[in-house]
Amino acid sequence: MRRLAPFAVVARQEFVLASQSRWTQIFALVFGGLSFAVASSGYILSGGHGVQDFARTAVSLVQLVTLLVPLTSLLVGVMALAPERGAAELMFSQPVSRRTILFGKLLGLFLALAAAQGIGFGAAGLAISWEAGDEGAARFLMLAAGSLALTAVFLAVAAWISAGAQGHGRARALAIALAAWFGAVVLFDVAALAAASFLRSGSASRLLVASVLVNPVDAVRTGALLGIEGVTAFGAASLAFLRLTRGTAGAAAAITASVILWVAVPAWLAARRLERADV
Amino acid sequence: MIAYRAFTKRFGRQVAVDALTIDVRAGETVALLGPNGSGKTTSLKTAAGLIHPSAGEVLVGEPGLPASKPSARQACSFLPQKVLFPEALSGREVVEFYRAIRGASGERTDEVLRFASLNGAGDRPVRTYSGGMVQRLGLAVAVLPDSPILLLDEPTAALDPAGLVAFYDLVERRRGAGRTTLFTSHQLGDAERLADRIAVLVDGRLAGTFTERELATRLADRGSMRVRLERLTATMLAAVREVCPHATVEGADLVVPGTAAVRPRALEKIQAAGGIVTGLTTEEGRLDRLFLELVAGEGGDADGGRA
Repeated sequence: MRRLAPFAVVARQEFVLASQSRWTQIFALVFGGLSFAVASSGYILSGGHGVQDFARTAVSLVQLVTLLVPLTSLLVGVMALAPERGAAELMFSQPVSRRTILFGKLLGLFLALAAAQGIGFGAAGLAISWEAGDEGAARFLMLAAGSLALTAVFLAVAAWISAGAQGHGRARALAIALAAWFGAVVLFDVAALAAASFLRSGSASRLLVASVLVNPVDAVRTGALLGIEGVTAFGAASLAFLRLTRGTAGAAAAITASVILWVAVPAWLAARRLERADV
Repeated sequence: MIAYRAFTKRFGRQVAVDALTIDVRAGETVALLGPNGSGKTTSLKTAAGLIHPSAGEVLVGEPGLPASKPSARQACSFLPQKVLFPEALSGREVVEFYRAIRGASGERTDEVLRFASLNGAGDRPVRTYSGGMVQRLGLAVAVLPDSPILLLDEPTAALDPAGLVAFYDLVERRRGAGRTTLFTSHQLGDAERLADRIAVLVDGRLAGTFTERELATRLADRGSMRVRLERLTATMLAAVREVCPHATVEGADLVVPGTAAVRPRALEKIQAAGGIVTGLTTEEGRLDRLFLELVAGEGGDADGGRA
């Protein structure tokens, strides 16, 4: 039998562990329940009845995805990537580079969280398809892709935060992860808008454009809304961003680049820090 | 096989290990002995590639490669002092994971589970294991690749009786097979029983290297006998000092330092001088006191300075 490469062995192990983790299972249940609830109750909340179509559900789910996915990815990521000391010592004493172990773990975690999100999107998707037909399913899938992009970004950030943080450093890494989530999801937009309100129109516009690209949550939110509804759902920052990137193709390219950088740079920094850390 | 070359490790301002130079030769079983905080674990973990030297180097294998290189770790197995495994996995799944990582043969899983007396519990989740069983599972993982070099951090501290039997048997078999074992301990018993050579670390420095016999002799020299007499006189003290010049009086007791061999002769002198013994206690040499003496520079080195 062909020997599996250590990278694949680590990824498979991490997938199994993350799938069995209570946190991942809770996330799958909550995400699935809320997605199903959003799909089922959207019309009811606006005075109608029945299940929303794919496009409307996707728009309604954007907020849920940008709130819940970064938080879960950060917490599950830090707990898995900053192990207890006795576990880390045994793992890192194996004849495998720390980089291989890190990237294997990241892949396993990503696949486990993707599967958990698949349950949520799948539950909502089945309900919509059954009740409202398949129209707009591509837009719904675009949101799912955005959700996976956010998962990859925040797992990479979790790796950066937790690299070399074993034992007592674990609690600190978790606290930093929560602060990072609050900063990216809640504080960043408020701060950007507050700062823009003190600037002249041109500078404010540039600041808002930058804010879309600098914060991966905003980048994915903008990308998802652009894919689902075009520019009709855009606010001031997104419209300014669209003007600067000269249309939807340019905006999509800029957002993709931002997401790729947000995955690659923290993952590279995490690997570098882990290689140098004492375990 | 393992070469520490002026290895120094600093954590911030604290120097954990200071210019350690020692060779562990192929086929040797060496104990790193020392009090808590002496740098034993730091030295061992550096050989396992877990800690980066601040200065100097640690080479492992033949030819010697820096321990931090993954290819160097192909020659090593390491067992931490307290090992942890994912609780949801079974013992067998844990072993299978490390077997796949090391590329060991499929039969090794059953062999090492049997070796660690876990063959009956291999399919149970690790969360149902006792602390001793978890440590035995760690031992099973450590012996899985049958590495030329085995590094063990305080191996007997957390093992249960079944684990101790397996561990002692393992070290003996490795010695017979010409394999190298380096382990830390703060218990002389382990070192006496297992090691060909004992390196004593105190405050991060190598205080000396000894054979088991040399260390035993040193400790024997540091024993004492305390004799309580009905009446202690200067004549008696002088008589005892003929066989033990460092005999002293402490309160009502006559204290005779030195090996067990000097004690009957001292008692004969006391009786010849008319002394009536009402109480007698003996104390063997203590390792912690020897450590203190070594760090104070009184101990010197049994095999010619820092190895």
